[in-house]
Amino acid sequence: MTAYFLRRLLLLAPTLLVISFLIYLGLELTPGDAVSYMIPIEAMRDMTPEALNKMREALGLNDPFLIRYFRWLTNVLQGDFGYSFASGVAIKDLVLDRLPATLELSLFALLLSTIIGTFFGTISALKRGSAIDNSFTFFGMLGVSIPEFIFGLLAIVFFSLQLKWFPVGGRLMPGYETFWDHLPHLILPASVLSLIMTAGVMRYTRSSMLDSMNREFIKTARSKGIPEWRVNFLHGFRVALIPVIVLIGFRLPMLIGGTVIIEQVFQWPGVGEQFVLAVRGRNYPLIMMIAFLSVNAVLIASFLIDLLTALLDPRVKLE
Amino acid sequence: MSLDKILSVRNLKTYFYTNNQCTKAVNGVSFDVKKGKTLCIVGESGCGKSVTAYSIMQLLPKLSRIEEGEIIYHSTNGDIRIDQLSRNGKKMRSLRGEDIAMIFQDPMTALNPVYSIGFQIGENLKYHTRLSNEEIKSKSIELLREMDIPIPDQRVLEFPHQFSGGMRQRAMIAMAMACSPKILIADEPTTALDVTIQAQIFELMNKLKQDHETAIILITHDMGVVTELADDVVVMYMGNIVESGSIEEVLRSPAHPYTKALLNSIPVLGRGKNQEIKPIRGSTPDPLNRPKGCQFMPRCDFSDDKCLTVPLAVELSETHTTRCWYSDKILQDE
Amino acid sequence: METSINKKTSLDRKFDKLREREETGKPRKGIQNRALSKMLSNKLAVIGLVFVSIVIVASIIAPLICKYDPQKVNLRMILKPPSSEHILGTDKVGRDVYARIIYGGRISILVGLGSAIGAALIGVSIGAYTGYRGGWIDSLILRISEIVMAFPQIILVLLLVAILGQSLMNLMVIFTLTGWGGLFRMTRAQMLSLREEEYVQALQAFGLSSFRISFKHVLPNALGPIMVNITLSTAMFILQEAGLSFLGLGVPLNIPTWGNILNVAIDLRILEDFWWVWMPVAGMISLFVLGINFIGDGLRDSTDPSLQG
Repeated sequence: MTAYFLRRLLLLAPTLLVISFLIYLGLELTPGDAVSYMIPIEAMRDMTPEALNKMREALGLNDPFLIRYFRWLTNVLQGDFGYSFASGVAIKDLVLDRLPATLELSLFALLLSTIIGTFFGTISALKRGSAIDNSFTFFGMLGVSIPEFIFGLLAIVFFSLQLKWFPVGGRLMPGYETFWDHLPHLILPASVLSLIMTAGVMRYTRSSMLDSMNREFIKTARSKGIPEWRVNFLHGFRVALIPVIVLIGFRLPMLIGGTVIIEQVFQWPGVGEQFVLAVRGRNYPLIMMIAFLSVNAVLIASFLIDLLTALLDPRVKLE
Repeated sequence: MSLDKILSVRNLKTYFYTNNQCTKAVNGVSFDVKKGKTLCIVGESGCGKSVTAYSIMQLLPKLSRIEEGEIIYHSTNGDIRIDQLSRNGKKMRSLRGEDIAMIFQDPMTALNPVYSIGFQIGENLKYHTRLSNEEIKSKSIELLREMDIPIPDQRVLEFPHQFSGGMRQRAMIAMAMACSPKILIADEPTTALDVTIQAQIFELMNKLKQDHETAIILITHDMGVVTELADDVVVMYMGNIVESGSIEEVLRSPAHPYTKALLNSIPVLGRGKNQEIKPIRGSTPDPLNRPKGCQFMPRCDFSDDKCLTVPLAVELSETHTTRCWYSDKILQDE
Repeated sequence: METSINKKTSLDRKFDKLREREETGKPRKGIQNRALSKMLSNKLAVIGLVFVSIVIVASIIAPLICKYDPQKVNLRMILKPPSSEHILGTDKVGRDVYARIIYGGRISILVGLGSAIGAALIGVSIGAYTGYRGGWIDSLILRISEIVMAFPQIILVLLLVAILGQSLMNLMVIFTLTGWGGLFRMTRAQMLSLREEEYVQALQAFGLSSFRISFKHVLPNALGPIMVNITLSTAMFILQEAGLSFLGLGVPLNIPTWGNILNVAIDLRILEDFWWVWMPVAGMISLFVLGINFIGDGLRDSTDPSLQG
């Protein structure tokens, strides 16, 4: 069992390596380098080209490309992600500062979409053709058609401004630090973020359930005289779940990408908002590193989903 | 063994309503199943034999229903009208598994791939007996052993895909027999298996018949299987029974052109390589475009205009019945 | 003896009607061509098609139906509500909202459809060729597509925007570069399965080049799913453009697009008090994309062979 997972992990390595290389290439090709953030622009104007070059030498910035790449890679593996152009602060610190907010948002959205999506998708399938099924399907359609930021805006107008149920944005007020304090702020953005995912999960669960309930083993289960709920859930749903989990894995990049926009709409202080600011300011080191980290997140999450699938489906051969 | 009836089917009509059309899959079928005996229902694909079995178990798909007729189960507590029970109601569910059980054609798809064999057998026991979990586990192992599955205490924890084809079918039989049902319905149980494995399964089923006095309803399209296992035979064509009787009667003196044609279309061991095998000419009619009168008429060598009216049932003996105007001709023609 | 009460459910009544029809011998009626009848009977797809066509036509004949120049600033008419003068009111600098929506449609639809077709052309050709050829080039391109698809799309797009700069052309190029993966995978899978078919081997024996085989003989089979994919990709790209422009990082703000117009809605004041500046656009995007999704679904239902019957 462990051998299988170690092997899978090892397979990820080449992909990550290639991506890291591309990221570094991007860093090289874009304007600015380590010297740019260390010395403010005004001071740079006063320095002679020789002085600047000496600095570069000292920092090792004139070494051959590959050597610099490996140096960068070793740094990254040790947690040193370079420095931001805008503030000169270590990127690692900048990101770590914001990471919990984004994790909170995305994990909550993932949970919501999985639970709500599978629940309503199953009910849709079991009551196929009924008014309930049709209305769920229609809402699903709406979910994938209306842009998420519009949902966000509408949610703010309706729930925060008109009904005043939830605060308008941001994550917390100074002095209120626990998760429960976050919760009122969290609900709207997480719900909106989960919408697209929920629509997809719901639709896929429905078709997977319909498929599953049509299979022979359902007849066998009924022939044993067990109660209907058991047939529907322990047999039908349990088997239908496996492809749905795989789908959720495929859609994870969308969830992570979604945080970029949602964090803007709700002023949620996460990595996504940070990314947008970095793009606006052409802060290349920050842009690259966040992109790199997001890919890592996607690959790790897919890996975990694979694990989950193997656990759920005994047919997955552990070769 | 007593000749008591354990199940009676009277004029059963089951219609399908898929594609916005009414298809008369079973159109008036009557037969009896005797305690501890094997009844074979034989016919081509689409003749309605499986539908009859599903009607008895009330396992029909959503877009179909039992239109008319009676299915009477003669239980120890009196007669039960199965056709009047609600499909997944409490009473029907208590019958399924405990009194009447069913095994299906392809054990790979008929077993749930994500649960162990022990779990699936255990489900049957859990809902029909009051055994504890421990007892359920040991009973499951016992059942696997009874079906000649080696190392049953290990096998009981394994999954269907880890079994071989024949073993899977045995496991399914073990699951069906878990509560010692009075009737076992087997829907083409060996079609998906090798011929050598087939023989083993048949041996097993005979053994069950003897040890548990289980009545077996065996659905098949293979006359060879019928000659092996049947005590009684029912021959179906296009939703109707064309001939029924004991195995000796139907085999030795078939009284319907279709039965005759079926028997002539299979090779018989011992008759040599030059034996005459006659395929039945023509093909099964489209159920949505049925011929008038006797359904077999377009393919029959003995028919004439009288056959444009549906033949009435003719009783050739107390047990042997057929539906043909010219049964005498058939009986004499050999 | 337990019996159930024989209730006649609505399903039973439907059955009775069908049985009666069968027994009195009524014939089947209706449109014979299966795909067409399925398509038409899918009312949603038809509604979608009608709506989408209307919007496309409107954006093409924009000068004919708009009184005002969408770019014309009129500082005396700032944030005026809908009136007979301006059907949908004016925005923060006095521009006519209605005109901006119609003209904005031009760009948004152009970006969406253009990128979808571009991505399709690249994805299908590469997929068809490498899927058929196999070998190292197939593995290489597969790896590349895996890497591209490992990035959350919006992050990759923003990254490229940061590097290449913001312009309409750039955006379409970036969308095409990031979006070819899906169709590539699909076409390649089709190719892989069809490659083993006998008629392909026969063609090979006749000496036809791989190029011809993969394009002329195998592609027509895949046409249905490709059309569906282009339709749904258009919807996706329109949504993406809207999102990016809303952030101010998509199409440059001087060219009106549906997303650009929404850029102002970040301001809570506008959100709350001046609904006409952003709600009609939001509605337009949503309904347009909804319509496209209906069409795509309808196409999928009618061309997917496994769903027939």
